[in-house]
Order: sequence, then C-alpha cells, then structure tokens
Amino acid sequence: MLNAGKAVKVSIYLSDGATRHGVPVYSSILDFLFYRGVAGATVFKGVAGFGADHHMHSANMVEISDRLPIKIEFIETREKVDALLGKLEEMAGSGLIEMQETTVAKPAQVSKPKMPVLPAHLKIEGKAQMMRIFLSEEDRWKDKPLHEALVAALRANDIAGVTVYRGILGYGAHRRIHKDKPLLSSHHGSIMLSVIDTAEKLRAFLPLVDQMLEEGLVVFSDVDIIKYAYRALDVEPDAAQAGQGSASQ
Amino acid sequence: MKEEFAARMLRVHFGEDDKWQGKPLHEAILAKCRELGIAEAIVFRGIEGYGSASRIRHTSIWGLSKDAPIQMSIIDTEEQIARLIPLLDAMVEEGLVASSSVEVVRYSRNPANDANQP
Repeated sequence: MLNAGKAVKVSIYLSDGATRHGVPVYSSILDFLFYRGVAGATVFKGVAGFGADHHMHSANMVEISDRLPIKIEFIETREKVDALLGKLEEMAGSGLIEMQETTVAKPAQVSKPKMPVLPAHLKIEGKAQMMRIFLSEEDRWKDKPLHEALVAALRANDIAGVTVYRGILGYGAHRRIHKDKPLLSSHHGSIMLSVIDTAEKLRAFLPLVDQMLEEGLVVFSDVDIIKYAYRALDVEPDAAQAGQGSASQ
Repeated sequence: MKEEFAARMLRVHFGEDDKWQGKPLHEAILAKCRELGIAEAIVFRGIEGYGSASRIRHTSIWGLSKDAPIQMSIIDTEEQIARLIPLLDAMVEEGLVASSSVEVVRYSRNPANDANQP
C-alpha cells in the first residue's frame, strides 16, 4: 500500500520500437508492474528524443517513426522497487532506468483492496494447494488470450508451476457447450489451468484473478507435494534435475 | 459477480471408445450434467494411459483416436454431485471415478442467467 510519505519514483526510458519476445517492451513492463500489484504506472510517448545510440528519433510527416522515445513512470515504496528492479533491468534491455527519492503528498484513493505482497519463491514440499482455473479459450485480457495472460501473471509472481489444458468438450460458468472441431478453428474451447503452490501464495494471487477473470470457476483442493525438483539458474544443467512438481490428488 | 462456496469435484476416467446408448460416453455424461444443471464439466483427452481394464490407450501418430484415455472433471455442490453419482454408476461400465472436496470461487458476468438455467 502506498501511503503518504517517502517513496521512490522510477522512470524507464525505452525506444517504442523495442520488442521482447515479439511484444513491445513497454507493454511487457506495464503488464509485469500490473501483475506484481504496483500502485500505478503511466506510459508516456515522446515526440522526439535521442538515446545512447545518438540517433535522433522524431515524429515526422515524411517517415512515420515507430522508434519514438517511451517513458514508463511509477511510484512505489523502496522495498517494492528493490524487489522489482532485477527483473525490470532485464526487461528494459538497452534502455535506461532512473530512480529518485520522492514524497507522496496524497496517496491515490484505492477503490479495491490492495494486492498483498507475495512471498518469494521457495522450495516447497508437503502440504500445498492445487488451484484449477476453468475458463473459455476465447476469453481475452487486454490484447491476448486470458490463459496466456494468467500464465504470465503467475510467472511474474513466482508461482511454482502451471499447466494449461485444452478440453475437447465442456461447458462452464457461462453454460455454453464448447466443442472441439478438428477441422475448423480451435476457438470456443474449454481451458483449464492447473496451478500448484502453497495455500497462502495462491490465496494472495486471487485478487489478481478477480481483476482478470470475468467469467469462470476457480477450484482449490489440498495436495501433498511429494517432489519438487527444479533447475536453478546458477547450477550446471545436469547438476540439478529438471522437473515439475508432482502432486498427489 | 463473485461467490465462494465448498463443493465437490469428480474426475471420471474411461476410454474414448466407450459408448452409452450408441453415443460416446463422454458426450452422454456431459449431456446428463447439463440436464442436472451441474456448474462445470470439462472433457480432456489424454495422449497415453491405461485404466482399470489394463488396456494401453493412446492416440495414434496419424491423429486418429484409438481409444484414447478420457478424463472428465465435474464440479458442483455436494447435493448436485450426489444426484449425478447414481447416473454415473449406471453409465460407466469400466472406469474410475475419483472424488475430492474442494473450495470454489465462481465468477459470473450475469447472475440472472445462472439462476434461470436448467
């Protein structure tokens, strides 16, 4: 929760043309900030500017520039910014990130309860929960399929694992029959996401589901995690066995 | 609209070639679920597996199904699931029904529609 008082303002300078995995960088950064429950963020589009490469980018009638400067700005507490910075540096690529101490004179009014901060990714074994999210394949969030956005949101919040299943037949909260038509489009399918982590992390994630899922069912059940093996990034590939958390039930 | 309640989830396992009155069993069960107004039912086709009859079930490389394993997930309140169980007993000749108690959060755009459904 961002209260009045000391805070940090972060500005990220990017080129509009910059993409990451085929998506504009500013868009993935904005999604990441949203998924991580940042109090608010704004994207500004510049009319002209130049960056480290000293190429002047400007909006010109002759050449419609798609490489105009982009600035993303957000204000958060020092702790939250520190937690996000590593990932932001990675995402910003060649862009510049600037931070400045600031004072919040009046915090924005929150109409919905604030997202709690999720604890960091830990090795989990023993009691845990499985969260299954049922939705339709045609559901969208912003400009992408909802199930893809949910996977990105789960990933941004370090949830242990998720698998997306496409049903061949089914109906859901909206009572439409979804039938897989092999030769026609693959739309209108029933989708199930199966997510495993501790009960508290899954519950802490739920407010984000509230915002993203308009229609659908979320089902929680208790599971025991028997084994959770994953490949740590700083370990040699064969030193740690890669694997999914396998769970009973 | 958002509601939270305790519920029951069934997972029914059988083969894609299983029939009920000439109709694929998963379609027949899904139709029964709709008749009863069960909240959520979804059918998954597995890529390989074996079941109570120890048949190896898999899909062939040509994409044509060869008695692939089917798993249905069915979710609703205890009372609703209790109405479905006797029907499953009659319809599933060979297979497995697993049941677990779950917590459900349901989101719906139009609560009026939900109340009027069969």
